[in-house]
Amino acid sequence: MLENLFVGVADWLRSLLGGLGTPVEINEAIVMLVKLVAILVFILLNAAWLVYMERKVAAYMQARIGPNRVGPKGLLQPFADVGKLICKEIVIPRKADIVVFLLAPVLIFVPTVMVFAVIPFGKNMAAIDMNIGVFYLLAITSLSTLFLWMGGWASNSKYSLIGSMRVVAQMVSYELPLVLGLLGVIMIVGSLRMSDIIAAQEHVWFIFTQPIAFLIYFTAAVAETNRCPFDLVEGESEIISGPYTEYAGMAFAMFFMAEYANIMVICAMATIMFLGGWHAPFGLDFIPSWIWFFLKMYALIFIVMQLRWTYPRIRVDQLMGFGWKVLVPLALANIFITGVGMKIYQAIGW
Amino acid sequence: MFGQGLIKGLQITWKEFWTKKFTVQYPDEQHPVPERFHGRFVLDVDKCIACSLCANACPNKVINLKREKVGKKQFLTEYVMNIQYCMFCGLCVEACNKDALHFSQDFNMNQYFYRDIPLVLVRREAPAEPEEEQAGKTGEKPQRQAKAKKQAEPAAAEAAAGKDPGKEGQ
Amino acid sequence: MLRTQEYFLNFGPQHPSTHGVFQIILTLDGERIVKAEPVCGYLHRGIEKLAESRTYTQVIPYTDRMDYLAAMLQNLGYVQAVEKLMGIEVPERAEYLRIISGELSRLASHLLATGVYALDIGAFTGFLICFRERERVMDLLEELTGSRMTLSYARIGGVADDAPEGWLDKVKQLMDAMPDYIAEYNGLITGNEIFQARTKFVGQLKPETAINYSLSGPVLRASGVNYDLRKVRPYGIYDRFDFEVPLGENGDCFDRFYCRVREMQQSVRIIQQAIEQIKEVGGPVQAKVPKVLKPPKGDVYHEIESAKGIIGYYVVSDGSNKPYRVHVRRPSFINLGYLDEMLRGYLIADVVAILGSIDIVLGEVDC
Repeated sequence: MLENLFVGVADWLRSLLGGLGTPVEINEAIVMLVKLVAILVFILLNAAWLVYMERKVAAYMQARIGPNRVGPKGLLQPFADVGKLICKEIVIPRKADIVVFLLAPVLIFVPTVMVFAVIPFGKNMAAIDMNIGVFYLLAITSLSTLFLWMGGWASNSKYSLIGSMRVVAQMVSYELPLVLGLLGVIMIVGSLRMSDIIAAQEHVWFIFTQPIAFLIYFTAAVAETNRCPFDLVEGESEIISGPYTEYAGMAFAMFFMAEYANIMVICAMATIMFLGGWHAPFGLDFIPSWIWFFLKMYALIFIVMQLRWTYPRIRVDQLMGFGWKVLVPLALANIFITGVGMKIYQAIGW
Repeated sequence: MFGQGLIKGLQITWKEFWTKKFTVQYPDEQHPVPERFHGRFVLDVDKCIACSLCANACPNKVINLKREKVGKKQFLTEYVMNIQYCMFCGLCVEACNKDALHFSQDFNMNQYFYRDIPLVLVRREAPAEPEEEQAGKTGEKPQRQAKAKKQAEPAAAEAAAGKDPGKEGQ
Repeated sequence: MLRTQEYFLNFGPQHPSTHGVFQIILTLDGERIVKAEPVCGYLHRGIEKLAESRTYTQVIPYTDRMDYLAAMLQNLGYVQAVEKLMGIEVPERAEYLRIISGELSRLASHLLATGVYALDIGAFTGFLICFRERERVMDLLEELTGSRMTLSYARIGGVADDAPEGWLDKVKQLMDAMPDYIAEYNGLITGNEIFQARTKFVGQLKPETAINYSLSGPVLRASGVNYDLRKVRPYGIYDRFDFEVPLGENGDCFDRFYCRVREMQQSVRIIQQAIEQIKEVGGPVQAKVPKVLKPPKGDVYHEIESAKGIIGYYVVSDGSNKPYRVHVRRPSFINLGYLDEMLRGYLIADVVAILGSIDIVLGEVDC
């Protein structure tokens, strides 16, 4: 029952619409729309609560309690925050490029939301099961560089400019190890479809066969989302807040929420590619597949948060050095070893 | 080995995650205020002989006191501290020979309006004739004193007793 | 034609990591610093001038406001200078209380420096973990003096009050627990490879330059110069304690940071010894001094080892009850002197690292 909760809801909707006698194409379109809206609402709520989770995790690691006044255990804090931010004026610097300045926070959410369309949250629970799912995801996520840069450039502030230049440098150079890290998995599976990749992990998760690829992917992904220890885009002790420096109110909140939505994307991606997606470990099948997916995803998100609240920030030259001199060669070596290993296994006839 | 420190750091934050928290949730629970805390000033009017040693000891000239001569003694009519300039160094309390000026443990001294900031410890009229003679005549010294005190410092007494939340602690 | 252009960046006075209202006008080439011009004075209150219209005792609360993180040490320097001028003998017990509260102040200051440095580098947790113990130290100081930061505890001829009952035991308890906490900071901050990569060989300072620029405190000792006034020219009763002077090797940001961490350990040792010794010392905490202090005509210079470096007080007396002139040699201000040359050629991120490692406090820089 629980296992097929969401699939069941979709089927019920489909049969309901079928009873109305409308053409099948329109019915399918409506079902798709409902799915996408559901995902959208899910992302927004999740991003809001991830902010709460981040604050709680941070507080607990720092001998504090964290937000605990609004609602039970402070659970309604994100809504209070959003309410406050909506009420605030969006201050536009006098010499800013107003159109670009306001467009950036609107567009920042687009790639993130688009990506969620292909992520399978459980058995048969992807909105669209695309045959180039991984490729689509990588192509779309790299777009967010542009919007962050737009925001920083249009602010016409030196701190914003430095921050946005760092965005471009960092995101572009960490895109490469990210993709190369995933390539090892894709070589083994031989498909870019996410459901195929998950199906291939039914017995052994790829984190065990491709541990180095996982580490490379995870490091690069943390850098890609501008999280500590690679948060020099924000770098609040150096360049105030990077590209977001001049933003206020809801415009700032959009950047902020997009950051958390991006964390969800990379953690969901890591779950799919390396942690077996919605497969239950140790044969614990009685727990529904989508719960397993979220458990794995949130465990990874917790790790990302713990990293942020443990490590200092690295410097910009070290960041580039680490990306190009360590991660990229390592990823290439991993691809080489994977290829050789695959050929050997084929030769043995395994 | 490279990476040891990184793992050690994660271990420490993981351990901290589960240890007891240090926060004191202020309005609900309060940290005990030590005995010597430099809080709001309290003046024991009966002990004060209006010698103005405290006013002279103050580095910032916070203390303004007015006195009138009643009979042979000095009578304190007004004792106002411009508390916005006070550094809470405690030199005035130390200077007091008669042990009349004290610190209290009350730290909640903020005011909404600037005009309310000065701390009025005494403001009263000087009696026409010395108390001792009066007491000698009628024998009603205690009541007289209590009455004088009541008239003298209604604002200070109320604020000190926490009866005036509208003014302080906002 | 393609060409690059240098540009200015106002680093402060409103900036999260200038430790107050301090401005550095940076000339940048990309992210690299070509020139750095420190601008101070945003927190100037004219304490030296104010002191001229106060009596000798009344100056004490103003000295608190300079290095408000280690207020007791500021008090101590001034008070000892006046005592030197007047030739006052301080009772034993007062000396011990001065040492204990002074070292507690140093501990509080270094805890803040350690934590804030972690924050400057980007590790937020280290900051609050250090603050937790600083809070405990402050609670102890509050119990002793009544104030948390601006203590005004020292008096000419002694200290304001004797330690309350059971206070020394509480101090001892915290001091016994302190090594564990310091080990925690070392695990969280010092041992972290990213932290080391950020701070090692950054902003190196040669011992000769450090001496030439008259730098002092952990900044000087990190360059390997063994000069701690508590050892070199013991004032008060520092000659009775057994402690080491931690030294650095490279004179870089990491050494300056780590010097402070190790100095905390030494402070803990001094306090532990002082608590052992004070038990046998009774008596008053105030020498017999006249109510109105009128030092003889003349001048005096006295310097002590504050948390930030050598703080020196120059007091001139004209025989009246007010000092004719008080001048303070403020270590934070003098340690900043080399900042420009230290910053050149480094990145913006290093500005924060270097400035944080000098550990300035703006109340003292601007006085």
